[in-house]
Amino acid sequence: MSEIRTLIVDDSSVMRKIVERALRQAGLDPLVVLEAGSGTEGIDLLKAKQVDLILSDINMPSMDGLEFLRQIRLQNLAPGVPVVMITTESSEEHVKQAIQAGAQGYIRKPFTAEQVKERVLPLIHAA
Amino acid sequence: MAVSLRESVQQVSDPRNLDASVEEVFHLMLGVNCQRTDTRVDHEPESVTSVVGFGGLLSGACVFRSGGKTALKIAACMTGMEFDEIDDTVKDGIGELCNMLAGAWKGKVPELSANCGLSVPAVITGRDYNLHVQAPEFQLHHYYAFDGEAFEVTIVCDGLQ
Repeated sequence: MSEIRTLIVDDSSVMRKIVERALRQAGLDPLVVLEAGSGTEGIDLLKAKQVDLILSDINMPSMDGLEFLRQIRLQNLAPGVPVVMITTESSEEHVKQAIQAGAQGYIRKPFTAEQVKERVLPLIHAA
Repeated sequence: MAVSLRESVQQVSDPRNLDASVEEVFHLMLGVNCQRTDTRVDHEPESVTSVVGFGGLLSGACVFRSGGKTALKIAACMTGMEFDEIDDTVKDGIGELCNMLAGAWKGKVPELSANCGLSVPAVITGRDYNLHVQAPEFQLHHYYAFDGEAFEVTIVCDGLQ
């Protein structure tokens, strides 16, 4: 299987590590992780590199996850690449906003590796 | 029709929601069983506090506080790494933990979840400080323990619409 290049966008370096660990536990292998500490950094990375999967937090300073999602769609960055939001915000309204902005999946923090597997693997296989 | 949390104040301030949120976050993100205790936390001189603000129909904050040693252990459980000082990674981990506690707590009440936003976490470290909140609408202040470590979580509500 070719490598799965995954962009993880979260202002917390600890959360980025936890998400990476969950992806590995979920069986994403071989996994290459690119990390961004903000939506702006994520946009810059996507302009320079191709990825197969994007996981993004929503609640971030400067550019939040929903704006990051709108920008990558608006600028046609990473076309066809599945985006999964990982966030503490779990209301129906937040999920609706994320889907409307172009997310394919939604994972609520706290999460298990099993939940990550259930949400992410079908998207990887479908892409 | 305007949404109000006034009528669900009993549900919002139910102390069981906080206990369930703490247990859930510690079980899923740290892999430890954590339980509420009646024993007060004797703070080490150096402690770590994280604050996540609530805004919207409910205003207030979720406050996590532990001694330095407990903070190191929590960060180690979250990351799988060992820490011997409260560095930026430990502060980051404690901030995220508080963020998840705040999110899990407000997620227990659907009207609250949909109508209350969270601030990004702020983390305070230092010695011998006190947190004082003036006349809150309601306040939950619980102590918890896991693996011989103890910490406290406070939900302060200073405004409810």
